[in-house]
Amino acid sequence: MSKHQYAMVMDLNKCLGCQTCTIACKKLWTDRDGTSYMYWNNVETRPGLGYPRQWDRIGGGWKDGMLQPSPLPTMDDYGHAWEYNYEQRLFEGSRKPVMPTPDPQSGANWDEDVGALNGEDNYYFYLPRICNHCTYPACLEACPRKAIYKREEDGIVVIDQDRCQGYRYCIKACPYKKIYFNEVTGKSEKCIFCYPRLEKGEVNACAAQCPGRLRFVGILDDPESPVHKLVYTYKVALPLFPEKGTGPNVFYVPPFNPPKRGNYGKSILEDPRLPLDYLIYLFGEEVKDVIVRLEAELKTAQEGRRSEVLQLLIGRDAETRYHIRPQLVQIRL
Amino acid sequence: MQTSRWFLWSAALALIVVPCAAQTAIPAAGTVISVASSSATENTILQAGSSIWNQALPKKVSLNRTPPLYDTDEPALPEIWTADVRVLRAGGKIYVQLSWHDNSRDAATLQPVPDSPPEKRFLKVPTEAGDRFFDAAAVMVPAQPGSPVNPSLQMGDPEHPVRIYYWNAVRGAMLMEARGRSTTQRTGQSFPAVSVFKNGYWAVTFEAPDLPSGTPMAFAIWNGSQKDRDGRKYFSVWYTVD
Repeated sequence: MSKHQYAMVMDLNKCLGCQTCTIACKKLWTDRDGTSYMYWNNVETRPGLGYPRQWDRIGGGWKDGMLQPSPLPTMDDYGHAWEYNYEQRLFEGSRKPVMPTPDPQSGANWDEDVGALNGEDNYYFYLPRICNHCTYPACLEACPRKAIYKREEDGIVVIDQDRCQGYRYCIKACPYKKIYFNEVTGKSEKCIFCYPRLEKGEVNACAAQCPGRLRFVGILDDPESPVHKLVYTYKVALPLFPEKGTGPNVFYVPPFNPPKRGNYGKSILEDPRLPLDYLIYLFGEEVKDVIVRLEAELKTAQEGRRSEVLQLLIGRDAETRYHIRPQLVQIRL
Repeated sequence: MQTSRWFLWSAALALIVVPCAAQTAIPAAGTVISVASSSATENTILQAGSSIWNQALPKKVSLNRTPPLYDTDEPALPEIWTADVRVLRAGGKIYVQLSWHDNSRDAATLQPVPDSPPEKRFLKVPTEAGDRFFDAAAVMVPAQPGSPVNPSLQMGDPEHPVRIYYWNAVRGAMLMEARGRSTTQRTGQSFPAVSVFKNGYWAVTFEAPDLPSGTPMAFAIWNGSQKDRDGRKYFSVWYTVD
């Protein structure tokens, strides 16, 4: 168990699906050989297949104290990286339009904005995902090389690239499929929660670049941090698939807004825009209590009174959204 | 009834005797590998498909499959039952050739992206094999030959460290050392090795500094198509070089 735990809260009501976080992460961490297909941060449309496809249904995680089996996702499940023939079009005089190669057949967020029907109405929302830096990481348990460790000072889970042998037991064990195999280095990689930035007092790149300002970062056990307030004080943020047993440290404010068109003042639980069953599938039964709380806060604000929860969720400035504590970092000799 | 009782007693005795035998330097019958001497050069011996290997008598080595290590592993039935081992001494070196039948050559050809300026990096080679594993083989010898006791077959033991000459169809040759199960680590050194896959057979040749007669030697093969890696593999008992 680590002394402290960095955590992130993402407000799904504010996500635009613009992928700026994805690109911020990609440019910073996975613009290297062998990383073309991997997105340590991805944003997928829900309901949908996800990235890699069906990651939420294929296995991994804990059950009764035992790791659960899972196949390894294939490259088709992730989507083959493609490139565009800019050179031919821009420099070699080709009059054909710029086309991707190979012909894309799947990819991250391939089913963008498809969603599903709720009655006659289509619905969807975006789910940004990074490594959950779990309290009980299945990946760490699965690694026979002991290459994965949870940093004692801040709970960030990292893979020691010197020890990793590319066995990929961790990928099978992770129920969120947030570890990726780099074929060129022969090792596995994952989100490092931008710890080099945090150590310098800078927030994670995905959070810093988010135009929707939906990410909150801080120490979970620090009562002053926005993540502590949203998770423990106001109880409006939940982990994804808590039943997988890994204790995720990324939390989500469930999507509940806007209300369904023409619901004539009914509560969100009475006439939800998003089917409640689907939210329960993602976040567990507790999501109903969270929606009731959020709806009450909304009512408070609509009546002209001040809602501390909504003020925090609006997150006007970086000081409100982030509470970075670089002094937590111990000097490693 | 008496026959089956006799059989049970024999089996029980074998269970006691066989592990003891593995701990002694007295080679069990059939586990001695004869070594041919040659005046050929290193280049000739390490040439792919070199006929010099006809001089060495092949020793058929029985392979065992490790039991499932993790509950989450898919079961894998044995596919590779034996391997042929040939050993040559030449020029102060010992050469070991391991050959075995393999239905598939699991060896992705990597095309590394060349170091080029960003504007030339449009055509990155997409990776294709995130869920594939690769064929590999290894020869294990004691780090300090001459001990009257063989190291543990599970990567040696603290008193009897081992040296592992590991070859991987993608990553090439790596010298490793270990002092017991899960202590295996790379030394950062490589060694000369050559591999050929032809007509469904791998032939991998390892070069090592010469070893004295009577040195124990054990072999392992990883079959990529069976998702072999780590301790999931085929292994032999200790053999002895003549």
